[in-house]
Amino acid sequence: MAAQDRLTANAFTRTEPTVPVPLRPLPLLRVDGLSVSYGPHEVVSNVGFELGRGDSLALIGESGSGKSTIARAVLRLLPSSGRATGRVAFDGQEVLGISERGFRPLRGRAIGFVPQDPANSLNPVRTIGAQAQEAVALLDEPDSAIRKQLILDTFAEVGLDNPERVYGSYPHQLSGGMLQRVLIGLAILPRPALLVADEPTSALDVTIQKRILDLLTRLQDNLKISLLLITHDLAIAAERANALVVLKDGVTQEAGRTATVFSSPASAYARKLRADVPALNPDRYAALRDVGLRTVKAGDAATPKIEVSAVRKTFTVDGKTLTAVSDLSFTVPAGTTHALVGESGSGKTTAVRLLLGLEQPDSGTISVAGEQITGRSPEALRSTWRHLQLVYQNPFTSLDPTWTIEQLVREPLGRFKVGTSKEREERVRGALADVGLGEHLLSRKPAALSGGQRQRVAIARSLVLKPDVIVLDEPTSALDVSVQAGIVEVLLTLQANLGLTYVFVSHDLALVRQLAHTVSVMHRGRIVEHGTVAEIFDDPRQSYTRSLLESIPSGGAAVAPATHTRPRMSAG
Amino acid sequence: MKGAYLSYAAKRFAQAAVVILLAYVFTFVVVSILPGDPITNVLRDPQNGFSEDQIRQIIAAQGLDRPIPVQLWASLSHFVIGDFGLSMRSSRPVTTLIAEVLPSTLILASEAFAIALLLAVTIGYGTQFLPKRLGQGLLRGFPSLFLSVPNFVIGLVLIHVFGFQVGLFRVIEPNSFWATLFASIALGIPVSARIAEVLIANLDKESEQEYAAVARGRGLTQMRLFARHLLKPSSLPVVTVIALAIGELLGGSLITETVFGRTGIGSLVQRSVSTQDLPVLQAVVSLAAVVFVLVNLIADLVYPLLDPRVKLIGNRRYRPTTADDSAATASAAMTS
Repeated sequence: MAAQDRLTANAFTRTEPTVPVPLRPLPLLRVDGLSVSYGPHEVVSNVGFELGRGDSLALIGESGSGKSTIARAVLRLLPSSGRATGRVAFDGQEVLGISERGFRPLRGRAIGFVPQDPANSLNPVRTIGAQAQEAVALLDEPDSAIRKQLILDTFAEVGLDNPERVYGSYPHQLSGGMLQRVLIGLAILPRPALLVADEPTSALDVTIQKRILDLLTRLQDNLKISLLLITHDLAIAAERANALVVLKDGVTQEAGRTATVFSSPASAYARKLRADVPALNPDRYAALRDVGLRTVKAGDAATPKIEVSAVRKTFTVDGKTLTAVSDLSFTVPAGTTHALVGESGSGKTTAVRLLLGLEQPDSGTISVAGEQITGRSPEALRSTWRHLQLVYQNPFTSLDPTWTIEQLVREPLGRFKVGTSKEREERVRGALADVGLGEHLLSRKPAALSGGQRQRVAIARSLVLKPDVIVLDEPTSALDVSVQAGIVEVLLTLQANLGLTYVFVSHDLALVRQLAHTVSVMHRGRIVEHGTVAEIFDDPRQSYTRSLLESIPSGGAAVAPATHTRPRMSAG
Repeated sequence: MKGAYLSYAAKRFAQAAVVILLAYVFTFVVVSILPGDPITNVLRDPQNGFSEDQIRQIIAAQGLDRPIPVQLWASLSHFVIGDFGLSMRSSRPVTTLIAEVLPSTLILASEAFAIALLLAVTIGYGTQFLPKRLGQGLLRGFPSLFLSVPNFVIGLVLIHVFGFQVGLFRVIEPNSFWATLFASIALGIPVSARIAEVLIANLDKESEQEYAAVARGRGLTQMRLFARHLLKPSSLPVVTVIALAIGELLGGSLITETVFGRTGIGSLVQRSVSTQDLPVLQAVVSLAAVVFVLVNLIADLVYPLLDPRVKLIGNRRYRPTTADDSAATASAAMTS
């Protein structure tokens, strides 16, 4: 009865066609007037789309846009406080209203799920094999030897080198990329008709991201699986899906075939989303970036602000010596941005720790603003730290949740005994204004702020000491692409106004291209290539650099961005 | 890994042995320095009719006039080979006295423990999967309810209802099947509360983990999801609680045995306290310490086997710096 009411209500309240392009007469998945609310708070409103057999569709939007919630509603994995209304028809059968008992036969067998964070998506205290057995059990194969062989074959199919070893491993013994392969394997093992992939690569490095996405595309083609892809990255969506649904605050902004939406977005929001993707707009901040160079006084430019020469650092683990970085050398002229790029394990983090003096190198020297970092005690480094600050990756964990914004930004001043109480207050307000935050936030706690605002607070916190050098350790990797664009603008404006020198650590090459002046590409603890942004991006000499560049999702064949100067790689 | 585990186990064994010896020494010293000398009290009891000379002879023969450290050494060397001496009341070996009552208490305690576990896991399952209208919220209140009712009250209620009203057992046959079962229930209920509290908290945490959603997406039934995915990680902290709950079982068994009129360690302790039968008390206290230490030892030894992520102490000189570590130390170092 209630379902009937909802149906009629939807029929009247629907203002725009919810189904962009009918793909086939009977779609595999048809979502109609879907709304999801947590308590009184509606997070998804009247969303509809269709996904045909063997076809692919991407839901795109920032965090909070409701894209993951829609996926969870389709999978019926919403938390108990979530309530979904509307219609979700799978293969013609309404599945939203049926009982859990009625839906369970579809789970795994017909609808597979690839989650966002591979590290937390497998039970940590059970072996991979034990969990794979649950997936293979859906195939009703009576012979246990055949079941195990099926698992091993699937592991090989998703590109795991040593299936037998993976089978016996615990999740913590495998890398994130391997775990995501396992999860994809478990999802496709029962040969579902639909695969729901919720940000399947957002926790992975850029080269692994490409391989995982290639794998998904290949499996989708080979096995004729329909793919519902959830992502915040428009470039990925355009590259991997035939149709797009753009969401904001739980409302559909635009929907249609990828080529149409991507090349000529009709809605303002889709246009903004497209403008914010670094890979599509490499020269967006070129003017602002070059202002920074000109503000530096002529005398400063002659002596480099940062000099790292022949630095080597090893660690001893279980009696084995691991070289974290070796022969690390680079210089950064004042007022410029130097980017350290590389994948996890390339030695970026160790390089940052060495640069900040938190770790002492085995050999080599580091100096910042003419002061030696190497060979000094933490006490002796205090005066240097006043001019050398760090902005950390994750603004969700780097701010004490019990402190107010004012306390957080003021703290460094107190620690370094800077100024009178009144001066401190002025500096705090000044720093907040510099990063574009209003004074009304002073008494708030971090929990009341968005991720982008929190990262601005983190920047203000290092800015308040008026440093010369700021080390930015993946400052936007935890943020949405449009929030990221705001942070990039703040950073470049600050550099232009204050002549700051940045060391920018990132695995996101597209972002590096937008804001850095010089680049060092790190691989296994060594710098394999360095040069200006133009040299590295337009004329990469090393194959490793080329493979990194090719991994940048750029919208694929959907459209070739006009501003792109590099020869296009076809990425299917 | 295997070598690391063996050296870890050897270390824990050595530690356990040291703790047991220290516990023995501690009780011995406490008893020795307590005011009032029960031995002389017994001997001087006019009913026994010993002369001063006889008393001195007995004391000398028992070695009780020697300095305390010497006595301690003698007592300790007997304890190591499992000899607790003679009871002062009955003059029978303490080990015999304990052996007579131990089986009854062991049966009671192990049945109670099994009931406590069963009850805790059932409550845990219910809090996760029982529909709200069938009282999921009510179930969450059970542990605090169980803890707030003393177990002798539970025991008396059980005797009244099932002994007298229903007539399942007769109070004059405390060792019958039903009487033992209800005594175990009375003893097990408060113990289950401690286990259930921790289990529920951890089940709540684990069921919100992404892997639980992914496993559900794989088509698992609720029962399998609970048994195969949620129970094991949620039980890890419970192992520690169980080790502590054993103490509760020991203490609770004294009261439960009295309420249900059972002979056991409880009644033996009660008798020995009232007659100041020191060797028996010393033996029971030491035994309790041994049980405690052993249970904790087992918990320590089992933990690394249950959780593959546990790294054994030793062999680690370098702590890999993860991104989170470096941020925490970096911001801490740079602002201090």
